[in-house]
Amino acid sequence: MTRLAGKRAFVTGGRQGIGRGIVEAFLAEGAEVITCGRGPAPDGLPCAWQSLDVADPDQVNDVAQTIGKIDILVNNAGVQVERTVTDSTDADWDAVMGVNARGVFNTCRAFIPLMGSGAIVNIGSISGRHADPSMALYNASKAFVHGLTRSIAVDHGPDIRCNAICPGWIETGMLEAGFALAREPEKARADALARHPVRRFGRPEDIAAMAVWLASDEAAFATGQMFTVDGGMTAASPIQPGLL
Amino acid sequence: MRLKGKTAFVTGGRGGIGRAICARFEAEGAQVFAGDLSDTGSLDRAAAHGQYVALDVADEAAVKAAMAHIEAQVGKLDILVNAAGIEIEKTIEDTSLDEWNRSFAVNVTGTFLTSKHALPLLRKAARDGATASLINFGSYDGFIADPGLAAYCATKGAVHALTRAMACDHGPEGIRVNAICPGYIDTPMLQSFFEGDGSGAAGKTIDQLQQAVRDVHPMRSYGTPEDIANLVTWLASDEARYASGQLWVLDGGLSAQVQQMRL
Repeated sequence: MTRLAGKRAFVTGGRQGIGRGIVEAFLAEGAEVITCGRGPAPDGLPCAWQSLDVADPDQVNDVAQTIGKIDILVNNAGVQVERTVTDSTDADWDAVMGVNARGVFNTCRAFIPLMGSGAIVNIGSISGRHADPSMALYNASKAFVHGLTRSIAVDHGPDIRCNAICPGWIETGMLEAGFALAREPEKARADALARHPVRRFGRPEDIAAMAVWLASDEAAFATGQMFTVDGGMTAASPIQPGLL
Repeated sequence: MRLKGKTAFVTGGRGGIGRAICARFEAEGAQVFAGDLSDTGSLDRAAAHGQYVALDVADEAAVKAAMAHIEAQVGKLDILVNAAGIEIEKTIEDTSLDEWNRSFAVNVTGTFLTSKHALPLLRKAARDGATASLINFGSYDGFIADPGLAAYCATKGAVHALTRAMACDHGPEGIRVNAICPGYIDTPMLQSFFEGDGSGAAGKTIDQLQQAVRDVHPMRSYGTPEDIANLVTWLASDEARYASGQLWVLDGGLSAQVQQMRL
């Protein structure tokens, strides 16, 4: 398990969930890993930590100078607000677009000159391609990530490869909170499961596995693309008569 | 009268969507030929619009005869609509080779044959700055799958790719090629899907199933053949003179969304 041996990676948002899964997978593959988040390092973190709000360009530039050359940048940090356009506030815009859109821009702008060559892996979403209801700013922010991914691949190849992963429903605190809000949580969970051809939800390590591959030299010809990892959910029509 | 002076040939012209296209084209001033296996078609009742032309799109001799008929009567073709199509409601395991081949023969080979033999007539219309318009029928099923419709999904994916290929090859001749990708449209084919075992909805009444399907659509309804005819008319008209090589999804917003879970 040394597919990333000798490589240095910066992963944003590695405190928990998908980001933490990527940190652990990268470490297992032999990479040196630095992660970041708002506030102090969490207990038991197996790698270096930088306290950082990715939405703040000055903070990102400072941290980039501190970290220096890296081979792999993973833009995983993201937030979600569950509102329609008319219900969304200016503060919601700043929170969601600040982290999910501007944050990705900030780190790419700061780190590409320091990378020289290497791989950027952005975390997009199936929600950037098809809309989840009442997630307007989140959906739009992920579509921004997809567009920026293509632009970076075009502008900064051949030295930099840039791809995005579009996760589906991944078992994180966010997913459990969603089911807890349902009228009939168990029924909602069963319904959602039935819509996944693999009959389970994703796990952070499922996304981490794709991130490892995209970051590795095996993916030397992959750039500018969106890689959906969703257990087959979006391969199917939203209408499944057996579930109606 | 947005199609005044134009000649149109609609395959599957006696089917649910084909009939609506023929009626609309005539209302817009076009001279319309309606090709189908029978004059009553899948609706099994008389039709009022479009001159009937006997046609099995999978039979090259019949396709050539239909084009010769149009050439003799008018001498050119401005619009070809490949609306003939069939649907086998099965997984691949349950699909026989004959069913698979028949699906491809009608949906893909039929589109190939009618397009191939219409080209000389389309070129005659695409003169002096005018464009001819070839409109295929893809499906949202060419992008995302419905359960138990494997061969159908595959044929529609093939139509999408063929649409782009023909647009590239024949655009320089003034022939525009597009595909319409309908979602759930109220046709005999959809009713068959509701009634069939392949839908996985056995045990529900048709009314219950139809309402549930409407509820999943952002527009809270599924489409009518007239909705499709509206877009076909635009693509056939001179207003669409710069539209080519595209797949036009018309589905009431169905495929804009992530799957709708019961939450």
